[in-house]
Amino acid sequence: MQCNEWEQILEQQTDGPLPEVATAHIKDCDACRALTADLEAIHTLAIELRGEEAVPPERVWITLRNQLEAEGIIHDPAPAPQSVKRGWWLAFQRPELAGAFLSMVLIAAGLISFMGNSTQMAGHLTVPAQIEFKQEASVLPSPENVFKEELLTVGNENLASFQERDAAVNDSIRRNLNIVDNFIAMCEKSVREQPENEMAREYLYGAYEQKAELLATAMDRSAMGGVQ
Amino acid sequence: MTEAEAIRLAQQGDAGAFERIYRLHSRRVYALCLRMVSNTAEAEDLTQDAFLQLFRKIATFRGESAFSTWLHRLAVNVVLMKLRKKTLAETSLEETNDPDDEFSGPRREIGGPDLLLSGSIDRVHLERAIDKLPPGYKQVFVLHDIQGFEHNEIAELMGCSIGNSKSQLHKARMRLRELLQETLRDQARQERQAAKSETAGTG
Repeated sequence: MQCNEWEQILEQQTDGPLPEVATAHIKDCDACRALTADLEAIHTLAIELRGEEAVPPERVWITLRNQLEAEGIIHDPAPAPQSVKRGWWLAFQRPELAGAFLSMVLIAAGLISFMGNSTQMAGHLTVPAQIEFKQEASVLPSPENVFKEELLTVGNENLASFQERDAAVNDSIRRNLNIVDNFIAMCEKSVREQPENEMAREYLYGAYEQKAELLATAMDRSAMGGVQ
Repeated sequence: MTEAEAIRLAQQGDAGAFERIYRLHSRRVYALCLRMVSNTAEAEDLTQDAFLQLFRKIATFRGESAFSTWLHRLAVNVVLMKLRKKTLAETSLEETNDPDDEFSGPRREIGGPDLLLSGSIDRVHLERAIDKLPPGYKQVFVLHDIQGFEHNEIAELMGCSIGNSKSQLHKARMRLRELLQETLRDQARQERQAAKSETAGTG
C-alpha cells in the first residue's frame, strides 16, 4: 500500500480502528506511523477541551430577560434585585429587630407624652408630674385646663410631693436611655452583618435620633433641677 | 427546581424557570460560541441569540430528546447560521472542498522532518492552533472532536454529506498538525537562539 492510499483510508475512517491493511502499512512506514501518533495526540487533547465551560457575563442574561419580557414570553416580571422594600421586610423577619422596633414605638409614644408634660411643667411648676408613658398625646389636657384645674384643686400643693414624682420621671428617662443604647448596639451589629440592609441603617439612625432627643430632654430637666 | 420542572414552568412563561434553564446551560453554550468565533463580544451575542431562539420555541419541546441535546443543537444552528450570513465565502464547505483552494488540505511531505507532537503539545497550543484554522475546518473539528457530534449530525447541521464532514475533519486535523509542528519548530528555534546568546554572553 502506498502512503497516499493509506491516507485516503484514514480520511474516511476518522473514528475507530483502521482496517487491517492500513494497520499493516503503519508498521512498515515511519512517516505514517508518526502521523497516526500525532493525530491521536491532537484528538486526545481535543477531548480534554470537551468539558470546558465558560461563564458568560451577566449582561447576557439581563439583555435576554429584557428581550423576553418585551416579547411577552416571560409573563411575570422578574423579581426586583435586593431592594429597600425587601430589606425592610427581611428586617421584620428578624425577631430581635422586630422586638426592638416595638420597643422603639413604645419609647416614641412615651416621649410624645413626656414632652407634652414637660411643656406643661415648664409653664406651670404646680402641675402634677404624674407622667404616664402609655398616655396618648391627643388626650392630654390642654395647658389652660390644667392650669385652671390646678388652681382650683391643688393650690399650694407641697414641693416634696412633686419632687417624689419627678424622681420617677428621671428613672424613666434613664431606663429609656438604656433601652435606646441596647437598641443602638443591636442595630449597629445588624448593620455590620448586613451592610446592604437599608432598613437596619434606618433603624440605627432612628435610634440615634431617639437618644439625642432623650438626652436633650434630660438636659432640659437637669437645667430645671430634675435629672441629676 | 429540577430541569424538568423548570422546563414545564418556562413553557407557562415563568421568569424564574427561564433563568434556571439559562443558568444550567449558558456556560456550555457560551463555551461553544467562544470556540466557534474566538471573539467574546460575538460569542455573547450568539449565546443570547441561542437562548432567545430556545425560549421562543420552548413551548414546542415535548421531551422526545434530551433537553440539553435539543438546546445544544439549537445553539450550534444559531452559530452556524450567523457564521454563514457573516462570512458566506469563508464558511462554504464547497469552497473549502475545492482541490485548488489553499485550504483544500495540507499535503504531507513524506520523509520530511516530522516532530512528534505527543508529549510536546498542550491544550494551550491546541487552542491557539484551532483559532488559526479556516472557518470550515474549524467548525467541523469543534463539532466533532470537541463537542462530540457524529458525522451524520454534523452533515445535517451543516447541510453537507457525511463523506464531506469526514473529509473536512481529516483536513482540519492535518492542518492542526502542521500548525502545531510550526509552533514546536519556533519554540526549538527560540531555545537555540537563547542558548547561543547565553554562550556568547559567558564566552
